[in-house]
Amino acid sequence: MTHVVLQKLNKVYPGTTQAAVQDMHLDIPSGQLVALLGPSGCGKTTTLKMIAGLIHPSSGDITFDGASVLPIPAERRGAVMVFQNYLLFPYMSVGQNVGFGLKMRGVPQKTINQKVIEMLELVKLPNIANRRPKQLSGGQQQRVALARALITAPKVLLLDEPLSNLDAHLRDEMRELILSIQRQLGVTMIFVTHDQEEAVLLANQIALIFEGVLQQYAPPDVFYRQPISERAARFFGGVNFIAGTRRGDRVTTALGDFVFNPAGKDSAPEGAVTLTIRPEQIVLQPADTRNSIAGRIRARIYVGTYTRYKIVLNDGSEIEATRPGDVGSLEEGDAVRLAFPEDRIWVVAQR
Amino acid sequence: MWWERWRIAVMLAPTLLIIVVLFFGSLGYGFIQSLGYQPNIGNYSISLDAYSTVMFSERYSEQFWRGLRLTFFVSLASTAIAAGLAIACALLLRQTFVGKRVATFLFQLNLPVPHLVIAIGIIFLFSNSGLLARAAAQMGWISAPSDFPVLVRDTEGISIILAYLWKEIPFFGIIVLAILQSVGEDYEDLARSLGANGWQRFRYVILPLIMPGLLSSSIIVFAFTFGTYEVPKLLGVRFPEMLPVMALEFFLNPDLNARAEGMALSMIIAVIVLALVVVYMWISDRAIRQT
Ligand SMILES: Nc1ncnc2c1ncn2[C@@H]1O[C@H](COP(=O)(O)OP(=O)(O)O)[C@@H](O)[C@H]1O
Ligand SMILES: [Mg+2]
Repeated sequence: MTHVVLQKLNKVYPGTTQAAVQDMHLDIPSGQLVALLGPSGCGKTTTLKMIAGLIHPSSGDITFDGASVLPIPAERRGAVMVFQNYLLFPYMSVGQNVGFGLKMRGVPQKTINQKVIEMLELVKLPNIANRRPKQLSGGQQQRVALARALITAPKVLLLDEPLSNLDAHLRDEMRELILSIQRQLGVTMIFVTHDQEEAVLLANQIALIFEGVLQQYAPPDVFYRQPISERAARFFGGVNFIAGTRRGDRVTTALGDFVFNPAGKDSAPEGAVTLTIRPEQIVLQPADTRNSIAGRIRARIYVGTYTRYKIVLNDGSEIEATRPGDVGSLEEGDAVRLAFPEDRIWVVAQR
Repeated sequence: MWWERWRIAVMLAPTLLIIVVLFFGSLGYGFIQSLGYQPNIGNYSISLDAYSTVMFSERYSEQFWRGLRLTFFVSLASTAIAAGLAIACALLLRQTFVGKRVATFLFQLNLPVPHLVIAIGIIFLFSNSGLLARAAAQMGWISAPSDFPVLVRDTEGISIILAYLWKEIPFFGIIVLAILQSVGEDYEDLARSLGANGWQRFRYVILPLIMPGLLSSSIIVFAFTFGTYEVPKLLGVRFPEMLPVMALEFFLNPDLNARAEGMALSMIIAVIVLALVVVYMWISDRAIRQT
């Protein structure tokens, strides 16, 4: 159980001017599972490697339980990294791979062998210690890599894209395994991903990063309800954005006025804002006309568990709404009313 | 189609045929000659006389056994030292530093230079009248250039080893560099985060990763140094002399009977190299498995 804090962390690679990581401030309580999420090249791996000690920050500090770890070299820092492509040593057996960290610490071979068996059981792969990495499937290699990291009893486990290389059905299995190990061992875990779904599935807290700058640090559901910016909303699959002006709890747009309920946390200052609402929160054919506008269905896309409607509004703009299941009464070309429930509207500052 | 399965084999067949004919043809022809079968000078009988003459006769035996020892020493030393130094150079060249491109270019500069030219360079640099000897005398480290230690045409084959090192270090070096580049640094980073210190990362990560490529290239280098005569002919002494030079002298001998002895000696060299390659591969294979 280790409490990890990144303080004003910066990294400028030699020969570059743009910081790969900029003033990163992140507090990761012990025993948490935190995702560093962002598009490719935003500085996730750089941040992870700085925590591991494999890259030196240009400035700022990293503390474990309050003490700076920057003077401690990677091999003694206890922040173990699991790489995206597993990187099992091809010239070693599975057991030797798992025991590697203990061997480096000079632990007697007998103890190592016992621990290897324990660890392989922990990742639900008993009896494969004598196999070669080549003989394993991708999912099995991933679990061996996990066992190899866990055997050293790390203070912090760092995972690079832990689910991205797995098939859909293996993702669920791996996700549950990681969560159960995390609960069992209580180890602080930080993982990197470019896939918001992966982050939402696994993390207690998500740190959203764009171009090396931390945008928002919050539990997964907050990114759906209260994204910090239009870009953050788009990253989490938001598609409906309407420009307007905020005055108090009222947003005036070209389509009319909307009343919204800022729900404690204030999102944007008065003035130019962007109103956003998730497709699944829009109510089609509402009972009353509060906060509602008129439109016409341009396209109806049946996705199985839900149906997507692309709706053209009065000013020619388009909005997307979804309904669970197949509620068959709306067809392409139909006129509809759509209401934005006050507590589902979210406004962000216009850039 | 049955034909599909055979297609690649059929396409390779002509090339393989030529290789096989050349390999067994030349070995077979050489072997027959080494048995003394030379119809052009009226020798139709065959015997192992040439072999026993080379190895055990009063005239040649000491030359042969001393030569064998020297050949082993030179080949082993130059292969092992070149491999070791090449690893060190490759690990340095892999880092990021000022002048990396120039350094890498200079490191590989010797690759296309023929061995003969390198041998002459060694004489120019290291002989008693060479550049280093004169420089050392100028600096007052030795009183006269002739006091410079005998490094060229010495009985231990030092200058031969130097020439081979000069040439083979870049050869090993580019192979190791290429492997390191294709492997990347992730394995080392991983080992580091699992607790491996610098030496352990070298011993348990870098070495096993480069070993297969290093082993096969050292077989090439060893076989080459064991069987070629240019460098030892120029830089060696008359006694002891390396076996390939001894074989060459049999061939240059106007006495046509010496032809059989030259061939016998060449066969011995070939058999030793082949046997060593087999043993070497067997050992290295086991070593890799047991890492
Ligand atoms: N060794 C390096 N030298 C220079 N720039 C680098 C280096 N490694 C990464 N970068 C740059 O830093 C930025 C962040 O990279 P990275 O941390 O790998 O992003 P991510 O893991 O989020 O895809 C990118 O613009 C990348 O090009
Ligand atoms: Mg990355």
